[in-house]
Amino acid sequence: MPASQFWILIAILAGCVSVGAAIWLYAWVHRQDAGSEQAQEIASWIREGATTYLRRLYLALTMVAVGLGIIIAIVFSFDIEHLGTEAVEVNPLRGGELATAFVIGAICSAAAGYMGMTVAVAANVRSATAANESINRAFKVAFYAGAVMGLAMVGLAVIGMSTIYLITGDPEIVLGFSFGASSLALLAKAGGGIYTKTADIAADLVGKVEIGIPEDDPRNPAVVADNVGDNVGDVAGMGADIFDSYVASTVAVMLLGASIFAGDATQQAKYVMFPLILCALGIVASLIGIQFVRVGENGKPGQALNRGTIFTCVIFAGLTTAVVILGGYNLGVLWATLAGLITGVVIGLTSDYFTSSDNRPVVETARVSDSGAAINIITGFSYGLISIVPSIIGIVLATLISYYLAQRFGMSGIYGVGISAVGMLSVSGMIVSADAYGPIVDNARGIAEMAGMSQKVIDTADVLDAAGNTAKAITKGFAISAAALTVLALFAAYAEVVGTRGVELSISLRNPVVIAGVLLGAITPPLFSALTMLSVTSNAFKMVEEIRRQFHERPGILAGTEKPNYAACVDLAAQGALASLVLPAFLAVVFPLLVGFFLGPEALGGFLGGSIFTGVIFALLMSNAGGLWDNAKKFIESGMYGGSGSDAHKASVVGDTVGDPFKDTAGPSINTLITVMSLVSSLFAPIIAAFHLF
Amino acid sequence: MTIHLYLSMIPEALIASMLTPEEFGTYYAVGSQKRARGQAIFCEVDPDFRHDFFRIEEGIRRCVPHEDGSPKRSIYISVYRVLEHVPLDVIQKLYLVTQDGRVLGLDSSPELPTETTGLHLYQEIAPVHPRVVSTLGPREFYELIVKTPTSLLSLPAVCFVELKLGELAEDPEHGAVRDLPYSNIDHLRQCLVELKTKTVHSKMVDRIHPASFAYRLIKNGIFIGNEQQLLYFPMLSQEELRTHHYRWWRSANM
Repeated sequence: MPASQFWILIAILAGCVSVGAAIWLYAWVHRQDAGSEQAQEIASWIREGATTYLRRLYLALTMVAVGLGIIIAIVFSFDIEHLGTEAVEVNPLRGGELATAFVIGAICSAAAGYMGMTVAVAANVRSATAANESINRAFKVAFYAGAVMGLAMVGLAVIGMSTIYLITGDPEIVLGFSFGASSLALLAKAGGGIYTKTADIAADLVGKVEIGIPEDDPRNPAVVADNVGDNVGDVAGMGADIFDSYVASTVAVMLLGASIFAGDATQQAKYVMFPLILCALGIVASLIGIQFVRVGENGKPGQALNRGTIFTCVIFAGLTTAVVILGGYNLGVLWATLAGLITGVVIGLTSDYFTSSDNRPVVETARVSDSGAAINIITGFSYGLISIVPSIIGIVLATLISYYLAQRFGMSGIYGVGISAVGMLSVSGMIVSADAYGPIVDNARGIAEMAGMSQKVIDTADVLDAAGNTAKAITKGFAISAAALTVLALFAAYAEVVGTRGVELSISLRNPVVIAGVLLGAITPPLFSALTMLSVTSNAFKMVEEIRRQFHERPGILAGTEKPNYAACVDLAAQGALASLVLPAFLAVVFPLLVGFFLGPEALGGFLGGSIFTGVIFALLMSNAGGLWDNAKKFIESGMYGGSGSDAHKASVVGDTVGDPFKDTAGPSINTLITVMSLVSSLFAPIIAAFHLF
Repeated sequence: MTIHLYLSMIPEALIASMLTPEEFGTYYAVGSQKRARGQAIFCEVDPDFRHDFFRIEEGIRRCVPHEDGSPKRSIYISVYRVLEHVPLDVIQKLYLVTQDGRVLGLDSSPELPTETTGLHLYQEIAPVHPRVVSTLGPREFYELIVKTPTSLLSLPAVCFVELKLGELAEDPEHGAVRDLPYSNIDHLRQCLVELKTKTVHSKMVDRIHPASFAYRLIKNGIFIGNEQQLLYFPMLSQEELRTHHYRWWRSANM
């Protein structure tokens, strides 16, 4: 058996083990005690809300996937790029393969999201119930549920990519898989982000500000929608986001491998397969690393999560070193992998620095808050801007180190850059497990609150929740950096694909068409951010009206004698989120094509460059500033600078509300936006190379 | 249905109601249509209490159920100079109501809080409600303004609460603010410093301050005094509140 085929089978096997482990954990979580009748009832409201939203989202996505699949099948059945130069060949098989890969990509991403979210809404009540027993037990339930998402995601991605490559032997077909996953990710992430902040802001504005009831109070009609939002935004959304980067970076490197080593079949097979091997090793490392995530009776959950991540990285580094040396791979790819891996962890930790209440940015923002909301916002925004610097330096270092070290060992530098992205994302199984844990314990706390569980449960849930917030901050920084490197790899892949069609890209800033492309690309992330955040405000406004209506018409709700109509708010959030996706999706898919077909491949190259630059900056700024404002408020609530009810607290609440759509709607969705635009460009590159006005 | 008499401190009023104290507290804070919000402090008064100053019998006669059978929520008997006309031995229990209508009942204690060193901050609740800093402990403060006034200012009865000053009690100039949410903290510090440097017992910090305040700031409890006696309603400990009155505690910490 050829080595490449052996490794494909190993990758598929690793994927199957990962999915198998996810299924086992899924069943394990469901076997845990679901608690009292009241807690189960509250959990069922969240479950029903989440299921309703997912059903609607996936129905909409099915229509999008089928529509786009048909277009892809038709367009790519023709050898269009040779139109006018020679006879156009009709090859329905290729179009069919690409369309099928696209649909499978969407299905795999949806399946991982569905599995992750269904286990999350089952685990929240079980974790709250287990908190009554011990923190160790509660942590285990929540983390294992998070691991379902992490392991299912990487497992399905590797099975999908490997199987398609095994059958077709063509990385460009695997690109279809990636495009399918990214299309779904964009809608899931942006939709989830709009949903979660619509519910959160509306619940806070009426509940806390107007009526004066605490967070997670069961009298608030939006409280269930708020909890559902945590799941659709942070579990399904973030999972889809990293799934998208994970697949896109792997495919980009497969394409680069196919293109760079086009003249040598043995080397080509070896280096096209290498990113899949890294994925398989990442799965093995994550499966082992997860075993190290344990909390003792008085242990700290945050330390347990960090320990798991560090062990996973070390194991992955060891396995990669062994495979590179024993498999006779160029040492340049090893250094590139390690550069990406280390950079990912370091960038994640810098995000934590800027958003943790142990450090100066949050403390300083909290301190100045007693001078008013304006000062709070200016300070938080400024630190958000500063937070871009270390991450960008990290990306720059990863890019340069991987490029030049790869070259130093006689390897293509740009292949090294792509490999560094894959290296960073290979441990996604562990990273996503830790990230998905966050919203589960957040919900567990909410359920404990609503069900009137004991003080011990609430205190335990608070400790677990604090660790979840840190994991979330780290994952956001990680996801953005990974997306940045992925898009750089995709950009290179785009250039290679265009190059194979005889168009040598010259992205010169002296070319007005390129400048036009750069500027058009640069406006896309801000415009996308504005569209998603405006959707949040308009949907939140509608929900505020609904909450007011319920309080107004049914006084028993506030008196605690009547149950609010939670479903009405859940429906409003779901409908609003899905309806709001049309324009952002259009922007992501159609805008690059318009630029490509009208201004040409060089302008599209400039467009991708422009969108990467502003996209990464906006994503980092919004995610970090939003997290910083959130934690500045929590810091004050912990009893600093006057505590709850002080002028500083009132100002910090304004900052937190501004930051909410920054950090949970627009910021994290930009990753997916730039990935989708790069994938669309790469996929349609051959056609754009053949047909363009300029 | 039983008719209760309630002595409200915010605002000062005597009210007859068919609601239990918990129901009355919720109603009083957020209204019958639940469209209002506002902190309330009231005491349950012996239903047999009568006084020439108040037309209690008339109020009780008018306190009848609604046509649909629901209880009468409130009949205001008096809203003027109420506290000074209610003898303290008819006061039963004191209730603290959060702005969203959660009710906490406090029993009175024969023991006054232990004297502590340092400066004091008092929020007068009724009949007037300035915020005052003082060198005097709660008993001396009450005696100064009710029993043996040394200035022109005196009241026939008073309801007040001592609020936390944290490190400012000992070191008003440099003490850390931490979780004290007072507005214009520099002015508060200045007032406290003046107590240390001038020969005055008390100084008004804010003459138009609303009577409401954050319950989490209560240092020891609520005091109600007239010329005859001083009642003290000690506040429950944080631990007790979190363990046994979690919903109230959450609302109070908003």
